[in-house]
Amino acid sequence: MIREAAIRFEGARVVYPNGAVGLASVDLSIAPGEFVVVVGSSGAGKSTLLRAVNGLTPLSAGSVAVQGQPVPRSEGRALRRLRAQVGMIFQDFRITRRLTVMTNVLVGRVAHVPAWRAMLNLWPAADREIAFRALERVGITDKAWVRAGDLSGGQQQRVGIARALAQEPAIILADEPVASLDPVTTHQIMRDLVRINQELGITTVVNLHFLDLARRYGQRIVGLRNGEVVYDGRAESVTQEDFRHIYGRDPDAGDVLDGQAAR
Amino acid sequence: MTPGTTLQPPAGIGWATRVTLVIAFTFLICAWAIDLTPAALANLPRQMAMVLSFFYPADMDYGWSRVLPALLESIHIAWIGTIIGAAISLPLALLGARTLFPRIARLVKLISATARAFPEILLAIYFVPIVGLGAFAGALAIGISSVGMLTKLGAEVVESIDMGPVEAVQAAGGSRLLALRYAVVPQVLPEIVAHWLFRFELNIRASAVLGVVGAGGVGGVLLNTLRYRHFEKAAAVLLLTIVVVLIIDMMSGAIRRRLLR
Amino acid sequence: MSDAVTRPLRPARNWALIIGAVTAVTLMTWWSGRGIRFSLTELACNLPGGRRLLVESWPPEFSFFPRLLAPLLETLQIAVVGTVIGGILAVPVAVLAARNLTPGFLVWFVDRNFMNILRTLPDLFWAMLFAAAVGFGPIAGALALTVFTVAVISKLWSESLEAIDMGVPEAVRASGGSWLQMLQFGAIPQALPHYVSYALYAFELNVRASMILGLVGAGGIGMVLETQRSTFEYPRVTLIVLSVLVIVLIIEQVSESIRRRLI
Ligand SMILES: Nc1ncnc2c1ncn2[C@@H]1O[C@H](COP(=O)(O)OP(=O)(O)OP(=O)(O)O)[C@@H](O)[C@H]1O
Ligand SMILES: [Mg+2]
Repeated sequence: MIREAAIRFEGARVVYPNGAVGLASVDLSIAPGEFVVVVGSSGAGKSTLLRAVNGLTPLSAGSVAVQGQPVPRSEGRALRRLRAQVGMIFQDFRITRRLTVMTNVLVGRVAHVPAWRAMLNLWPAADREIAFRALERVGITDKAWVRAGDLSGGQQQRVGIARALAQEPAIILADEPVASLDPVTTHQIMRDLVRINQELGITTVVNLHFLDLARRYGQRIVGLRNGEVVYDGRAESVTQEDFRHIYGRDPDAGDVLDGQAAR
Repeated sequence: MTPGTTLQPPAGIGWATRVTLVIAFTFLICAWAIDLTPAALANLPRQMAMVLSFFYPADMDYGWSRVLPALLESIHIAWIGTIIGAAISLPLALLGARTLFPRIARLVKLISATARAFPEILLAIYFVPIVGLGAFAGALAIGISSVGMLTKLGAEVVESIDMGPVEAVQAAGGSRLLALRYAVVPQVLPEIVAHWLFRFELNIRASAVLGVVGAGGVGGVLLNTLRYRHFEKAAAVLLLTIVVVLIIDMMSGAIRRRLLR
Repeated sequence: MSDAVTRPLRPARNWALIIGAVTAVTLMTWWSGRGIRFSLTELACNLPGGRRLLVESWPPEFSFFPRLLAPLLETLQIAVVGTVIGGILAVPVAVLAARNLTPGFLVWFVDRNFMNILRTLPDLFWAMLFAAAVGFGPIAGALALTVFTVAVISKLWSESLEAIDMGVPEAVRASGGSWLQMLQFGAIPQALPHYVSYALYAFELNVRASMILGLVGAGGIGMVLETQRSTFEYPRVTLIVLSVLVIVLIIEQVSESIRRRLI
């Protein structure tokens, strides 16, 4: 392998304190610039997989490395430095509703400026510029000074994406970013993610619930089942049979966004 | 303390009657023990009417010259007590939140419960000999008991917030301190400040009574006027206290409503 | 992605408000600090004496305890009497102050202001007033707590009454029921658990208050506290304070557990 993998799991295993197995044993390598969609039924371990990448959920065994560097198991400076390169987008947006959109996006810069500046909300001009460019990329520049909680759901998720972009990350992790949005907004947000991946070359891993979305937007699809990778292949070549294997049952209308069974 | 609105099914009429009877019986015994007899009660309106008649007319000269400064001192005590309470309780409220600091929180809650256990006036009894007779002792007593209450209420506010943004700040590489700054404090500050204001209203009432043990404020003035039966002067104290407290309540209430909107 | 979208200017902050508020708080604090003669020198001068007193107050003089039993009992009796009479009187005050139940605007207006004025005066003021009117002793304390109880319960309960579902009360009225019947069958039963809860809460406050009413001659343990305090018998003061705390905490625990079960 000449190029270093953006993310590499080796024998990664997560067992939660209550004994639930989040990841059984995962070996997976994601190349820089890839757009990977992770699918699997509820509880398959999709969130656990993403959260292992930035150390929000520490591994119990095995290893995960980001750009060749192993992810530290405990909180601290090293883990914070690694997280600075990994942007995360959440299903429930996780923005601070009482702050302005701008401040929320600037939070993406926390690891890039001196702590006292971040603490006092005194951001260098260069970082404000980065935040503005992130807002431009998701098309909500006009909302920069609005209270984040006053935006629509789709706009709030764009704030979440802009915050991740403001990190100028090498990797973006998106955990079901469209699950709380309506169909039209869903497609807009997915197109935004694809465009960002293509224009900026940011490695992107997206957890998705809907099969049609996965096939439509993913380059590569990874199927998880019971904490194990049971499918890994190009999005064009995924078949009905593969989905049946991933889900352990026939996909039905509930598994597609547009209400029609996957082809 | 706003209870839910569910109405429990009545546990049978016999149960309610029994409880009522027990309360009535206890009440009668207690009333008898403190000599609150029907005869004493019958006498009461006459006594009250007589005393109240002495209250008129209020000696407003005394009011402006002596009562107002004392009331002002009560306000000062309450203000400093609230400032002490707010300043110390803000970090304690964060540390006392189970959701943020599971281990330290128990200790902080214990400290806050201890501070709350003491009525201000008992604290003042100890502070008076330590820092000397006067308003300073009162402010310290009120400050400590405000710390107790505000820490508890603040920690409850912090525990009720959405923890999502906290994780988001950390996921962006922010430290725990920065997560507090950008995810916790903005969520809780309006409610916490509203609690400060509400506590200020309570502290005005508390500081009004501290004069009774020599810790400054209007309470000592009322005690003296009544002790020497200067009822017109006592009337001035009551009148001015009611007016000042009502005005402060109104102002503070207006600010609180704006904050929480 | 249009570069045409201009970046909005950050809206001017309301500096007048911010500076005004900061100045007001600073000035008020400075003024109050002077007003209470906050002085470190005085503190330093008094500390040695105070320290001596504190050292003297420990250990508490346990042999004094037998003489506290009767006053402690009296304190509880005062609290019971005040809570029961006050609890009964609070019912009409609360009902008339509830916007949805009150028979007329004028009654509501008068009653609401009456309630607010009751609330402005602290418990100890009422105790002083009643002590002046009926003489030193527990009756003055019981009367003071009666007023205090009315103030606490009526304020809280009138709010619960305003929040009830008006369906049944209106049905009672529509079917020809009188105002009192409407209260009895429609309104009060709905808010009864709240009433009981507030009455218990008032009882807790009253036990707490009754312990100190004696400081102004209104009976109970406070009177003993006042004599020992004014003669600087601090070991006894400590014993009294500790007994008061223990009793208050016990009563609060019991009452709180009942309240929790109620609602
Ligand atoms: N914090 C936790 N504590 C204990 N067990 C957990 C925790 N989080 C996840 N699990 C368990 O780990 C397994 C994988 O969960 P995970 O959240 O990764 O699934 P998922 O594929 O993201 O599901 P969904 O589609 O519902 O989000 C599940 O069995 C789940 O119950
Ligand atoms: Mg998930």
